[in-house]
Amino acid sequence: MNADLILEASGISVHAGSQRLLRELSFTLRAGEVLTILGESGAGKSLLADALMGNLPAGLVAGGEVCIQGQRSAARDARARRPLWGRKIGLLPQEPSLALNPVRRVGSQLEEVLQLVRGLPAHAAAEQSAAQLQAAGLSASGAQYPWQLSGGMAQRAVASMALAGGASLLIADEPTKGLDAHWRDHVTGMLRTVAETGGAVLLITHDLRVAEALGGRLLVLRAGELIEAGEMADILRAPSHAYTRELIAADPAHWPVRQAPVSGPLIVQGRGLSKAFNGKSLFQALDLDLHAGERFVVQGPSGTGKSTLGNVLLGLLRPDAGSVIRAPGLATTALQKLYQDPVASFPPRQTLGSSLRDACQLHGEAWSALQGRLERLKIDASLLTRRPSQVSGGELQRIALARVLCARPALLFADEPTSRLDPLTQRQALELLGDAMDESGAALMLVTHDEDIARVFGQRQQVFAAH
Amino acid sequence: MSSTQTSAWRGLLLRRAIQVLALLLIIGSVCFLMVRALPGDMAMRIAASRYGYDFVGSAAASAVAQELQLQRPLWQAWLEWLGQLLRLDLGQSLVSGEAVWHEMAHHLAASLDLAVTTLILAMLIGLPLGVAAAVRPGGVADRIALLFAVVLRATPAFLLGILLMLLLAVHWGMLPAAHDDQGGTLWLPALTLALGLAAGLARISRSAVREALASPACEFARSKGLSDFQALLRHALPLAALPVLAYLGVHLVLLVEGTVVVESLFAWPGVGHALVHAVFARDVPVIQGAALSMGLLFILFNLLLDALMLAIDPRQRKPGASDA
Amino acid sequence: MPETFSARLARHCGLGLLILIACFALLGPALIGIDPATQSLGDSLLPPGASHWLGTDVYGRSVLARIAHAAQLSLGLALLAALSAALPGVLTGVTASWCGGRIERGLVMLADACMAVPGLLLVLLFAAIAPGQYWALYIGLALSLWVEYFRVTRAASRPILHGDAVQASRLLGFGKLYVLRRHVLPALTPLLATLLPLSAAQAVLALAALGFIGVGLQPPTPELGVMMIEFFPFYSEAPWLIAAPVTLLILLVLGMMLLAGDKELT
Repeated sequence: MNADLILEASGISVHAGSQRLLRELSFTLRAGEVLTILGESGAGKSLLADALMGNLPAGLVAGGEVCIQGQRSAARDARARRPLWGRKIGLLPQEPSLALNPVRRVGSQLEEVLQLVRGLPAHAAAEQSAAQLQAAGLSASGAQYPWQLSGGMAQRAVASMALAGGASLLIADEPTKGLDAHWRDHVTGMLRTVAETGGAVLLITHDLRVAEALGGRLLVLRAGELIEAGEMADILRAPSHAYTRELIAADPAHWPVRQAPVSGPLIVQGRGLSKAFNGKSLFQALDLDLHAGERFVVQGPSGTGKSTLGNVLLGLLRPDAGSVIRAPGLATTALQKLYQDPVASFPPRQTLGSSLRDACQLHGEAWSALQGRLERLKIDASLLTRRPSQVSGGELQRIALARVLCARPALLFADEPTSRLDPLTQRQALELLGDAMDESGAALMLVTHDEDIARVFGQRQQVFAAH
Repeated sequence: MSSTQTSAWRGLLLRRAIQVLALLLIIGSVCFLMVRALPGDMAMRIAASRYGYDFVGSAAASAVAQELQLQRPLWQAWLEWLGQLLRLDLGQSLVSGEAVWHEMAHHLAASLDLAVTTLILAMLIGLPLGVAAAVRPGGVADRIALLFAVVLRATPAFLLGILLMLLLAVHWGMLPAAHDDQGGTLWLPALTLALGLAAGLARISRSAVREALASPACEFARSKGLSDFQALLRHALPLAALPVLAYLGVHLVLLVEGTVVVESLFAWPGVGHALVHAVFARDVPVIQGAALSMGLLFILFNLLLDALMLAIDPRQRKPGASDA
Repeated sequence: MPETFSARLARHCGLGLLILIACFALLGPALIGIDPATQSLGDSLLPPGASHWLGTDVYGRSVLARIAHAAQLSLGLALLAALSAALPGVLTGVTASWCGGRIERGLVMLADACMAVPGLLLVLLFAAIAPGQYWALYIGLALSLWVEYFRVTRAASRPILHGDAVQASRLLGFGKLYVLRRHVLPALTPLLATLLPLSAAQAVLALAALGFIGVGLQPPTPELGVMMIEFFPFYSEAPWLIAAPVTLLILLVLGMMLLAGDKELT
């Protein structure tokens, strides 16, 4: 029929036994088009990608029919689509630096695709590989190993490999997870190029901003059900479903700016702080004052020293130069920290309840006071009988917040506390964090890579630029 | 990059060089204590082993004691002893009077023969089995590998040797240890040592290959269009080689310990056999020489493995990876 | 990590086997009531029977009595060696990862130095200082086993002590003891539960191996390896003789391996 029809998915569903994980879903994708599947974790987005590829985990069965560039197969017949991998469908993996083989050179990992998949003779493959690397701005990286590449370089290398076999359909599964604005723009630019050069892109993401930047069509999934479908711009302008509205509102770009609190006395002072890591200077001769009640946000890409600055202020790291001065009379436990990965910040073999009880006891707080705080943080008391790994990330981060508040902190250093959470959960967690800080009058130092969060949260900002 | 490479090599050589020094110190000191433990008795026994029990008098014994300078202050004698060792002067056998280095040379050759045969045998049996088991979990190879591992893991070389000997003795009505011609008997001690190692290798290569196959790197290799076999060959096996080599490094010690027992068991004329004989004869210079040879062989094998891993895994050459 | 049902079953089987052997070793000598050293040349090489359940050896000594004493010896010496290796090994391991810096480097170098000598070789050399003496074997065993405890403890406690959970606890004001009790010990316990039986098995085997090649404990001590070499010549006339120590050794090692669990500690 249509020569430019690249993907036709009819009635795709996924079942685990009798349990339905993804309800029947149909869509088409033409050359030059971008289709975004938006949803939180557990919505079934990745299942959809796996079902299309024919790569579902054992025990899951796909239903429906898939047609890729005229090659029709039943969705459950995963083997039928295996020969298409690399040749018709390319997959952009979630974490490009892990997808590259660490013990082999980058160039050879591209070359093998050209040789074994595209069928070029060895010397032609070598030439072509060098040319493609150069086109991706990686001309010097062919002889390097993956761990010698930066995140963005690895991303580009992986993209050239995924498409080197001649695939015209690119499935990108959360390609921007954990990336800051800089790399996010980079990835969207790359995906747009794929579409502009005659390919088709199926983007799977929870990040509305990537979807918005790419445009095209949008499918919104929740708990395995299609909630809304249509043109991106239309849906963003007038979402018809309440959940879509919530999702849009949960995008930090749409958050209301938080009221700046009144700041109080000086708590911590940094004077002439410098720190280098592996010979690379992170910050130099930095002067910094933090007052009670203040909201200080440090924003910038990963690896630029944001967390290091916080650790230096808390006395966890020694600065190379300069000094940190605490206000006199401050308790030794007045500076507290929330971690990026809350699971790793609790003793793993102890129930959360007993960890909290220990903290209460140490700081002479009544258990009922803590219970009240948990209630305000919307934590069900039954969670306390579990271990840290048995609780969801959003809940655990709020329990961690309840724990540090036992110490009645004067300064709370929150190190990317919500970067691993889904948008709705992230919004709730950050709002509760802000409320708790307002209530306690403590200073908050928030580290984030998200410029929107920094904008709505920060009364004062320190921006760390990419090196 | 080349400077971090040389520094990785330097660190590796330094670590093993310290081990060589430690080996000299520990074995030298223990052997020194051995000399000191029962001086009178020892002089007597040495004299007896030289001249035969019928001809030993106290004169001969004291001559031996004199020769070994058994009457000097302890610390002085100890330093002297270690000094000699550092000059790589191992002295002469108290029994045969031959230079210890000279005597060790052909024992070392025999032990090396055994060790290399064992390693090759173990890898030939263990690695293909492990890879086959990993590619088809629950398949025939997987079951064989599991059975192999369960039976042999609890059966170290020493027990396996006895069981093998009993089996052969009952079956063929003879003791394989009884005949001494080399080529014919090499395979028995080598097999004894290799089976246990092969079982471990099969297990570890199975899990290493499975882990490598499930790694994002292999998934990506397949999704970019390589066939399952190409992905296994080009991506999974190079990744799996590292944990397998690390396993070999840790279990090399079993091979060395195994040689002591298995060589004695099968009368293989290697260093271990010589060591046990020297212990019977209280021939301390030979004990020391044999122990040192074994230790040096062990360190050398470890060094070779280190070098191999460094060559295969470029990550180890990056700065800051040496303390991992 | 949750243990699978079969893994737990294996551990329980191993423990049961070891308890049975321990009962045999502790109560056996009294219940049998025969001195393992009593020779009675008239009763040489009796087959298993009512008065001697496992028969007699070439000197007419009761094999059952000798096996019971040998079990006591192997089990006792192995446990003693494993425990006395565990204590300094764990302490130095935790100290190294806690202190870091020069202390850690020094301890690592010491462990490296000890690892230069293969364990069995060290035991053999110590045994050669004082032939046939328990203490020499014991010291040799303990010295060769402690490094493994050091290595494992250091490797396990390092990421914990440098991890977020300990940092969070310290920031909250908890002391060092709390960190040891709540963070380090709970992580080490399962490792030690695996390592202790493994190193005990290593000790049992080393003891028997040295006895068998004649450089460990000496006859007439009832020891498994020594008995094997004594019984070996009679493998065709009296196969039950050699079967007894071999079976006991296999059961002992099997029990310890099962108790240790299937995990590789490498």
